[in-house]
Amino acid sequence: MNWGLWWAQIRSVIRLEMRKTFFAKRGIWVYLLALAPAALFFADSIAVAHDRDRRAELESTHPVTEKALESIEMGSTREQVEAKAGEPYAKQVYTFGRREQHEQAIYRYTDGQSDYVFIFRDNELVGRRTNELRTIPKDSLIFATVFQFFYLRLAIFFGCVGIFTNLFRGELLDKSLHFYLLAPIRREVLLVGKYLAGLIATVVIFTTSTALQLLAMGWHLSGPAMTEYLHGPGWGQIGAYLGVTALACLGYGSVFLAAGLLFRNPIVPAAVVLLWESANPFLPAALKKVSVIFYLQSMCPVVARPNDMPALAALLLSPAEATPVVWAASGLVVVTFMVLALAAWQARKLEINYSSD
Amino acid sequence: MTVQAPGAGREAPGTQTLATPPPIEESLVIFDNVSRFYGEVLGVNRVTLTIPPGITSLVGPNGSGKTTLMNLMTGLVRPTRGEIRVLGAATNDPERLFKLVGYSTQFDSFPKGLTGFDFVYSFLRLFGDSHAECEARAWKAIERVNLVEPAKRRIAGYSKGMRQRIKLAQAIAHDPRVLVLDEPLNGLDPLVRAETIALFREYAANGRHVIMSTHILHEVDMISDQVILLANGYVVAEGEISGVRSEISEQPIQVQIRCDRPSALASRAFETDHVVEVKLHVDGGGLLIKTRDADKFYRLLNHIALEGIAIESVTPADDNANSIYEYLIGGEESTK
Repeated sequence: MNWGLWWAQIRSVIRLEMRKTFFAKRGIWVYLLALAPAALFFADSIAVAHDRDRRAELESTHPVTEKALESIEMGSTREQVEAKAGEPYAKQVYTFGRREQHEQAIYRYTDGQSDYVFIFRDNELVGRRTNELRTIPKDSLIFATVFQFFYLRLAIFFGCVGIFTNLFRGELLDKSLHFYLLAPIRREVLLVGKYLAGLIATVVIFTTSTALQLLAMGWHLSGPAMTEYLHGPGWGQIGAYLGVTALACLGYGSVFLAAGLLFRNPIVPAAVVLLWESANPFLPAALKKVSVIFYLQSMCPVVARPNDMPALAALLLSPAEATPVVWAASGLVVVTFMVLALAAWQARKLEINYSSD
Repeated sequence: MTVQAPGAGREAPGTQTLATPPPIEESLVIFDNVSRFYGEVLGVNRVTLTIPPGITSLVGPNGSGKTTLMNLMTGLVRPTRGEIRVLGAATNDPERLFKLVGYSTQFDSFPKGLTGFDFVYSFLRLFGDSHAECEARAWKAIERVNLVEPAKRRIAGYSKGMRQRIKLAQAIAHDPRVLVLDEPLNGLDPLVRAETIALFREYAANGRHVIMSTHILHEVDMISDQVILLANGYVVAEGEISGVRSEISEQPIQVQIRCDRPSALASRAFETDHVVEVKLHVDGGGLLIKTRDADKFYRLLNHIALEGIAIESVTPADDNANSIYEYLIGGEESTK
């Protein structure tokens, strides 16, 4: 066992691969995929901050208390509502109907925190809606949904497809893999070097994006609200999301590195793994554990299941059984090692026959 | 010096059992009954070779198995059957093998974005040596192929000849004892070609192996100590080039003839001294003749035709082998 030599070789492979994984033109879409949710969260945060400022301004010109607005009962007339809450900051009155004319009115109030909408028909309150200002728990749920439904299952998944399948398959297509195979380096050592290069690239790209998303999500929060969040579940959730992101790269990376060695067309294994991962909730308990998403979802700090989500989508998002974080992380590492062992076995058998690749 | 007919597996003189390799085998490249099939397609078949130090040229037409033989030697492909040892190292032991072997392949492709120097240096680092040592070795190799000036430019902007040379620099950078080169002189201008040949000679003069494939007979003649002749995946001849030529010319050539009176033609053929074997076809409509002198035989055939035997067709039975023989013998004439 020549660990010193192997480590030196691994570092050399990483050096060679870094340029390709970080700066390849064909990898630009990976950056776009990773940064898209951060951009969306920033845009959303700007909109929320703007909305908060708007409500505060309206509340100052049309002051009304939450208590007064909550005391308004269905069936009240417009005059009764105005008597309790004062003049609304926005009012729309119009008539409709062909034979019989009806009058409809919409009153809008805000107490600076929530928007209230009252709908009158023929001067009788028939409907009301409340739109609360975004709170940290709401933001957390939105983040959890985007993270689990888009980021883990699609962005990191396909990012890993793009980077890890190319580590071997890309070089076979470029007809340049033989340079590695003509060096005095064991195939297993080469595989580890390439895997670590891909892992460094994906972890840097995707954890950076996760951090940016979290930063963007909290952009609209006031200083005290942010401090309260960080002293509460904040740091724990941030750490968990960054950890899950890194573990997702670890797990999916190994799967797609092996796929790049086993299959000529990476789209085929990617589609198969995507189907397998999506079918995870429906699988028997033993099979559930032979997947990456099972462990990743177990480690997510917030369960993403919004009330208005379709039943099937909600089912896809929920782990069938709770797995302790330590077990989930260990399970993922075990799956990763098993897949890497399979990849190493395949790498040992690898031959250079570019014409058939 | 040996010659074999295509398809005839044989033991090369001097080949020994590989189980307990004696020290002498640590200076030889040995193929022991090696075959390689790509599915149902033959790469090479029943190759038994012992290659001593010096310059050895693999000669044969396209598809004859030259590149397969080189890829087998360097572990890029694995034999379906048989065993290969390079100076005692197994081809599935890269840590040992590639300290001994440098291979400049036919593939004209490189890792993207690298300069010539980066390319040579980066792969040298895989040997586990220090930055300073690898840098010095890389520059030394680049100097040997006269590519110092463009070494810091990207390979993507190199000419074909420069790409050949940077591949050669990468192959020799770790100072291997066995240099394997697939068409190494392709794309080189005459001056660089002469310099490169001088480099090979220098290598061989130091007791190393230079094993190269080439199509250019003139160069085979000029630089080779040994030649290995391949046709259709078989080694048809090996040894010193002059010996191969003489033995090939002594090797009988087979001709299939379809005619109306094969027995009469057979008895006429046996009246000559160059026909060594005749086999009548089972259907009575032809015969196979083996002759040591094709020219004399074809002249005889003209006489026989004039004597009234109706000859329907004349076909060389070992056409592929013939083409390579002609390749070599024709070259001999062209070099005189």
